[in-house]
Order: sequence, then C-alpha cells, then structure tokens
Amino acid sequence: MAKQIGADRLGDFYKEGSRVRKRREWRGFRDTMYDYSRWLWIMMTLGKFVMKPRNVKAMFRYRWMANYLAVPMMVDRHTQGLRGEYLRICHEEQDLVIDDVAKLLDSLFRGDRRIGNDKKFSDKVVLVDENEMTAVMMGFPNLKVLSRETPSTYVSVLLNQYAACHYIDVAQEYGLAGDVCPMPEAEAGVSIDDDAPVLGACAIQCNTTCDGSLLGNGVISQRLEHEDGIPVFQLAAPLRHREDDVQEYAAQEIRNAIAFVEKHTGHKWDWKAYFECAKRVNYATQCRMEWLEMNRTPYPQVFGSNLALYTETNYMAICGRVPAFEKADRKITKLARQAYAKKKMAAKEYRHRAIVWGVQSHFYMDFLVWLLNCWGIVPLTDMLSMVSTKMLVTEDTPENREQAIYDMAWLTENMIMRNRTHGGYKVLLDELWEFVEMFNADMVILWEHMSCKALDGMHGLFEEKAREKGIPLVWVSHDLFDPRIISRQGVRDQINSFMRTVMQEEPIDPSLEVLPDEKSW
Amino acid sequence: MTVFLHILKIVAIVVLALFALTFTVYFFNLDMKLTAAIYPWLDKQYDKVKRDQHL
Repeated sequence: MAKQIGADRLGDFYKEGSRVRKRREWRGFRDTMYDYSRWLWIMMTLGKFVMKPRNVKAMFRYRWMANYLAVPMMVDRHTQGLRGEYLRICHEEQDLVIDDVAKLLDSLFRGDRRIGNDKKFSDKVVLVDENEMTAVMMGFPNLKVLSRETPSTYVSVLLNQYAACHYIDVAQEYGLAGDVCPMPEAEAGVSIDDDAPVLGACAIQCNTTCDGSLLGNGVISQRLEHEDGIPVFQLAAPLRHREDDVQEYAAQEIRNAIAFVEKHTGHKWDWKAYFECAKRVNYATQCRMEWLEMNRTPYPQVFGSNLALYTETNYMAICGRVPAFEKADRKITKLARQAYAKKKMAAKEYRHRAIVWGVQSHFYMDFLVWLLNCWGIVPLTDMLSMVSTKMLVTEDTPENREQAIYDMAWLTENMIMRNRTHGGYKVLLDELWEFVEMFNADMVILWEHMSCKALDGMHGLFEEKAREKGIPLVWVSHDLFDPRIISRQGVRDQINSFMRTVMQEEPIDPSLEVLPDEKSW
Repeated sequence: MTVFLHILKIVAIVVLALFALTFTVYFFNLDMKLTAAIYPWLDKQYDKVKRDQHL
C-alpha cells in the first residue's frame, strides 16, 4: 500500500477461484481519493441507468446484460498500478466510454419492440455493425446511429472474459464453422439465440474485415430483413484500399449508402453537420498524432490500453459525431503534455520498447498493462491504433462536397483492423518495420489470433524480417473472444517463457507472472 | 446561529458516515463481491426466457 509507482505486488490482489479481486489499490491519498471519486461517478451512472424500469426489464431479458454488473472491475483492471496523470488519462477515457455505452443501451431498449417499443424513436434509428466506420452517418445529425453488436458482444467481452462463449456455442450448434473468427461468430450467435434488441428504420452492414464477418452479417441480415422487416444495406468497401483505381467505386458505395438512409428514414443529408463532424475527426487525429509523437521519445505518455481502447471507440464508433469526445481529447492531451514536461513514467522501470502488432486478444485487453507492470515492456503503440492520419476537408464548397464523399470512403476503407489485415503486403508487414524504426522499438509482440486467416498466412514472412532486422519477436497465440482455447495465463505464459529463456530476464513484479484469474471476470 | 451550527453538525455527520460507508465498499471491493454473488442467479433466469432460437 503505497503512493510510489511499482510499490505494490499487484498479483497479491487476486484470489484463487474468485471472479473478483480481494480489494482495490491504495495509491497514496490523492490518487486513491481521485480513483474513489471516479468509482462513485461510475456507480451513479449505473444507478441512473437502472432507475428506468425498461432497463431493468432488459437486464432480465438479455443474457449479455449480466456482464454490465462488472463495469467497475473493468476499470480496475485497466488502472492497475497507475498513478498521477496516467490514472487520470485512463479514467477520462474509460468513464466517457462507459457513459457513451450506457446511453447506447438506454436508446436500444427505448426503441426495442420487446422492451420500450417507442415506435417514433425507433423510426429514427439506423443500425450499424460493431466493427464499422460510422463516417457515412456524419451528415445525419437527427438520426440515432446504434450498434446492437457493440454492447452485446464487443463491450461484454471487455467486461467478462467468458461473455461470448454462450453465443459461440449457439452458433456452432447451428452448424457454423468452429474455426471462424469468434467475434462475428458470437455476433451471429446473439442473433440466432434471439438475444438482440429489435428496432430501427434500416441498417447498414459493412464487409468489415474477413470471411467470418461476411458470414455473421449474412445470418444477422436474414433475420433483420425477412423477420423483423428492417431493410439492410450492404456497404462493400474495397479491400485494396491503397490502390487509386478502387476509390471511385468506394465513393459510389458511400453515395448509395446515403441515398439508402435518406429513402428509409425520410431524413436529408446535412452538409453543415458533416463538416462540423469532420473538424472533430481532424482534431482527434491531431491529438492522436501528438500522443504518438511523444511515444517516439524516451517518455511515452498515452500508450497501452489507454491508446488502444480509446482509439477504437473514438476513431470508428464516434467518428466526430459526439462533441464530448473532443473535450476528452483536449483533456488527455493536456495531461500527457504535463507528464511529458516532467519526464514522468507510468512504471518504475522501462526495460523494453515494444510495438504490439496483429489483432489483440479481446478477452485480455488489460494484457498491455500487465506487460508494463510485470516485465517493464512499454507497448508504445499497437496495430489497431495505427489508423488513418489523413486530414478531411472541412470547408463547405462544391468541390469539397465531392472530396468529402471520397474522405468518407477513405475512412470506411480504413476501418480499424481491415486497414492492416487487408490492403496488401505493405500495410501489414512492411509498415510494421517502419514503425519499429520510427518508435525506436527494440521488441515486437505479435498477436497470433489463431482464427484470423488474413494474418496467419504471413507468419513466416514476419519471422524472416525480424531475423533480418535483428529485432526480438515474440508470438502470442489466442482466440480473440474465447478464453477456453487459450486462457489468460496461457497468453501470459508465452511472454513469461520468452522473457526468461530468450531475453534471460527476471520480472519486475514476480507476483504477476502467474495469476489465479481463470474464473475471474 | 446555534440552530445553524446544529444543522451543520448533522450535515457533517451524515456526509462523514456516507463517506465511511462508500469508501469501505470501494476499498474492499464489496460492490464487485456482491455482484459476483448475484451473477449465477441471473444465469438461471436467462435460461428460463422463451426464445425463438433459429438460424
């Protein structure tokens, strides 16, 4: 129990066979009181949410809702060992995401035919995929853009490592392949299990990243269109997104999607709203670039899960449409600048500077904090945070309106994950080594999402290049949403073995090397 | 003035008691321990919900 960073043995908080930890950390008076005040705020947010009878009804209807009981623990996992500015940056992000998801849930249940059944509200709702760039909705300020998959699967697995298992099993019971990516498989499972809210004037699905995603969308859209009577638009963004010859096609897809939404909602595209959003997207990009610039120095500030989780939310799901995220960007940048000026560090020792590449294990998102606390490995940036840095046009002119269509197409093509897993050899392999050089990294941690065919095919090429460059590379296998295949300890063991045998090192905090978190949320 | 001080004293006691209570819940992770106890019961509830399960 101490104010100093790294004074606690963080592994001692875990209890064998328990879903939760023994107690919360004492971080010194100031930081503990800050963390306590944020915990109070989270409890109030959850309290406000359950005050509405329809939300309580939804809690007893939808299986995935039980995971939301674990919201405070998710925040605890990501703030492990953090002090000062790092703790505040983490709360700025996590608390805003919690607030945003609470609003999303509230809206879903308001329009849901089984729960709130507010028809007027439902007619303003456009459903989108979880893993979908929402750029195409930037010019519809009076419509509600809601994703059913975000709360039912994506956030649920962040809250509880086993959250998707039931739905994966349901999908496989109905004959879906077992070796497909468990993310779209779980999303399809939610639909098959009749566990998705039913609402909306129409929906837009996207050929997000892979064959699994297309499979999942097929199952979901069949139910939406043929049973629920909700028309679905398939936004087919080109996969060879760096090629000039696909851009006109990509732009036409955006025009078609906008026309589809206008037809089914009766709302007209609003250029003023679009350009306001575009300014916010540019501001978020500027901030992210400044954080990454700091991460190139010996004093990185916004990194690990602080960078990864926030970028995923802000870049793709928000896409300039929520002004609160601009405020958060400003606050995070201010905190990062403060810490950078004082040459602060998030852990007591930085031993290695790593680039984390590949698709990270979703059931163990706080692994990045573990890397830092256990082995002193600083995850400077990760593949999913290395997204588009292109500035969008923001002035409303006839030429810019045409360019804006191409900007939206570019963002849609460059969604998180698909901008690296598709688009050719350069974006996945070559640029990794460019980033290693740019960030002065001395290690590469390569997630091997075993169901991701797009990445697995490049295994040998990564190893060949690592040997050529003389950079230590460690593979970490996992199955994204399913901890029954490789557990959290299984993930940690791959790093532990590498660090002890190849790097010949001892952990900074040995209590974290083996954790009894098999049953933990 | 005496009445005002008396009210102030009561408010201070209430605030302190609330702080002591919530801080104890926070520090010893009692909120999560309680929800962990509720969780298995909820699972049984979901098994009872009638669903139109199909592909």
